[in-house]
Amino acid sequence: MTPSPDTLNQRLRLARDRLATGLITAGGIGVLLAVLAIAVFLLWETLPLLRLGDTLALAKLTPLAWGTLKAAFYALLFAVPLALGAAMYSALFMSTRLRHRLKPTLEMMEAIPGVVVGFIAGLIIAPWVERHLAGTLLLVIGLPLSALLVGVAWHHLGTRLQRTLPLSWAGLWLVPWFVLMIVLIFWVTPQLEQYLPEGDLRRFLDKQWGIDYATRNAMIVGVAMGFAVIPSIYALAEDALADVPKSLLEGAQALGATRWQALWKVALPTAGPGLFSAVMIGAGRAVGETMIVLMASGNTALFSASPFEGMRSISAAIAIELPEAAPDSLTYHLLILAALALFVFTFLVNTLAEAVRQRLRRRYRRLEGHP
Amino acid sequence: MIQRLAKNRDEAWPWLSAASVALSLLMLAALMSLLVVRGLGHFWPAPIEEVTLADGQVIAGHAVREAPLPDRPGHERLYYTANRDLDGALWQWVALDAIQTRSTPADLVLLDRASWGDFVGRLVAVVTPNERLEGEAAWQALQQHLNQRNAVANGAPSSAASGDSHVPGDTYLPGDTYLIVESVEGRRRQQPLHDIHRAQRPNAMSMGENIQTWGGAVWRFLSQGPRAANTGGGVWPAIFGTVLMVLLMSLLVTPFGVLAAIYLNEIAHQGRLTRLVRIGVRNLAGVPSIVYGVFGLGVFVYGIGGSLDEWFFSDTLPSPTFGTGGLLWASLTLALLTLPVVIVATEEGLARIPDAQREGALALGATRLEMLTRIVLPMAAPAMLTGVILAVARAAGEVAPLMLVGVAKLAPQMPLDGEFPYLHLERKFMHLGYHIFDTAFHGEDVQAALPLVYATALLLVLIVLVLNLTAIFLRHHLRRERGN
Repeated sequence: MTPSPDTLNQRLRLARDRLATGLITAGGIGVLLAVLAIAVFLLWETLPLLRLGDTLALAKLTPLAWGTLKAAFYALLFAVPLALGAAMYSALFMSTRLRHRLKPTLEMMEAIPGVVVGFIAGLIIAPWVERHLAGTLLLVIGLPLSALLVGVAWHHLGTRLQRTLPLSWAGLWLVPWFVLMIVLIFWVTPQLEQYLPEGDLRRFLDKQWGIDYATRNAMIVGVAMGFAVIPSIYALAEDALADVPKSLLEGAQALGATRWQALWKVALPTAGPGLFSAVMIGAGRAVGETMIVLMASGNTALFSASPFEGMRSISAAIAIELPEAAPDSLTYHLLILAALALFVFTFLVNTLAEAVRQRLRRRYRRLEGHP
Repeated sequence: MIQRLAKNRDEAWPWLSAASVALSLLMLAALMSLLVVRGLGHFWPAPIEEVTLADGQVIAGHAVREAPLPDRPGHERLYYTANRDLDGALWQWVALDAIQTRSTPADLVLLDRASWGDFVGRLVAVVTPNERLEGEAAWQALQQHLNQRNAVANGAPSSAASGDSHVPGDTYLPGDTYLIVESVEGRRRQQPLHDIHRAQRPNAMSMGENIQTWGGAVWRFLSQGPRAANTGGGVWPAIFGTVLMVLLMSLLVTPFGVLAAIYLNEIAHQGRLTRLVRIGVRNLAGVPSIVYGVFGLGVFVYGIGGSLDEWFFSDTLPSPTFGTGGLLWASLTLALLTLPVVIVATEEGLARIPDAQREGALALGATRLEMLTRIVLPMAAPAMLTGVILAVARAAGEVAPLMLVGVAKLAPQMPLDGEFPYLHLERKFMHLGYHIFDTAFHGEDVQAALPLVYATALLLVLIVLVLNLTAIFLRHHLRRERGN
């Protein structure tokens, strides 16, 4: 008995289905294995170092590791307060309309290629800051102070003015104020600098305390890389803060807490792990960023913590030296070891951040009453 | 007292947090406006100043910027004076207090020449074998000649023909014509006509001519190759290389990324292992791009490329064919780099599709393949598209891994041409991002290259931002659609 066309058709369909499932499985596993191959390759290529057993060579990596950590430290020093401040403000004080505009804007900021940021920092900002060092340093104190000044003045304004310049839009209308302050600071500092014995802060630092100033230094790298890292820290921190159950905040305010107290005493501790993982992700990015460090630091391998001196990071060293290193040479394997270190570090940091975030999400669900 | 202090602090902190938003926005705005103003402003025909100094010296050029004097109070100004063949330099610093008079005479010309760069000065005469035109007549003849030559070069014979019919034949100057030009301090030079690309009188141009010149300059920047060690000309090969590399990369990454996402979300057993793999893939997006570059160099270039050379290209061997960086290896490396982006985005799209849809299809007798291709994939298509666009945006701005696997500062041959097999996967290529890095940091005359670097940076940022905006818009649209 021959099978009817229907069953034949059916069998064909099933066979095709099985074939496709097999192909997808093979393809999927293949892709995942290819991704895994990165780790395997890096490990495999560092093995010859064991055979060479040259511990002296490892000493070449320590200044690089130092440089990487130094760059990441200054980047985070700049980025973490700004990003967390922005996240707190936008989660709790900002108007919803502005918030919906701000998120994509900061996503745009994240998309700006590192090579562009590095170019601006290394070629435009670095020489400019060298000429206006005092003013730049004064900005660090001046801008927050001027914001506080606005806050104090605001409370003495009339209700009508308070309504036209509300706190919920302050993130926007403070921008022109800052422009004004920056112009003012750079106009005033040259006059103030004349009272220094050397007439110039850079020469003063050099003479008084023997502090060297390199044009491309850790401070510049910190600001440039901080600029690149702010958006990713902000996005995760804002998510964590915005997801804090509303009932908690409302409860705190009902018990007489101010909005800031509710944020400080309730929201921050609850969202703490989320903020931590945001900072971790930022650290991972700062450690691995190549072009900004390559272009904005002097690329000199130094052991110095001074913000006014340069450094050479692992990623920059790989980008510079690896194309010239002959395969199978000691430098080649050393640089691959450096890449492995970067890989392991960022992978661990990201995994840690992810795990913390998962736990936080579970905690929120429990707090909202869903076990 | 303590309460008042606490209250004050409570009022202070919100302002500091608002300040951090304002500062972030300010930095972003400053960066963007710097790029736009410098990047586009460079092409605007700036006026040429004629400056008489206290010691009697006369110079002419564009004012570029001012800086404080190094040794005494006061400022100095940098002029772009061109005329490298006469002065030996393109730039001149002038102390502001040494300037006696400044003027912008209408008869100053700016010649764009094939050798020695720009010339700034006055046109004295146009000399053909038969005649010698002076003054305004010389300028008219030169203008008409250059216009016609450009029209012919652009393959627009109609305008050239009509031009011929209106003006007498002597405007199309013979080949051995030369110009006599004079710098502002009076040194003369004979300038062969065929050496001149363009001639302008920036000080005499109307607004309309200015805009036209600006548009032409922007177009030349986008459509021409670099000249004069990347300090002049355009970035067309870099645009072309970037686009071609990104296209190849998306061709590679889309099928594999989607395949892996479908496997992870639809076929794999949803157990502990799958969850670990998922976290692993997600974390790979955070691995520094330079690490992918190292992998590409070690595995693709030295490993696979080296073997390919031994098997197929052994006759050319000491010089490598595939065993060195090239288009294919760069695309593959970036495909690997962006794989997590595509996988994560596609998986998000797949996870949003309610299980009821899948169960409904299966209940109606569809096989899993039919369920996937007819129900699930069409519904997840916008998410996949978002992922691919995000991947392209990331790849277009990535430079560090390319430095290891195949980018070149100046590629003599385009990777796509009329020669068999048309697409040359082994060739090195130029890239916008690397062009910025190389021109800004390894150029001979950074000051001269700077405006072009600004323009290139602006172009790169615009490309990346447009791609990202498209992805954001798509995702937003998608969420709203699902929300309803």
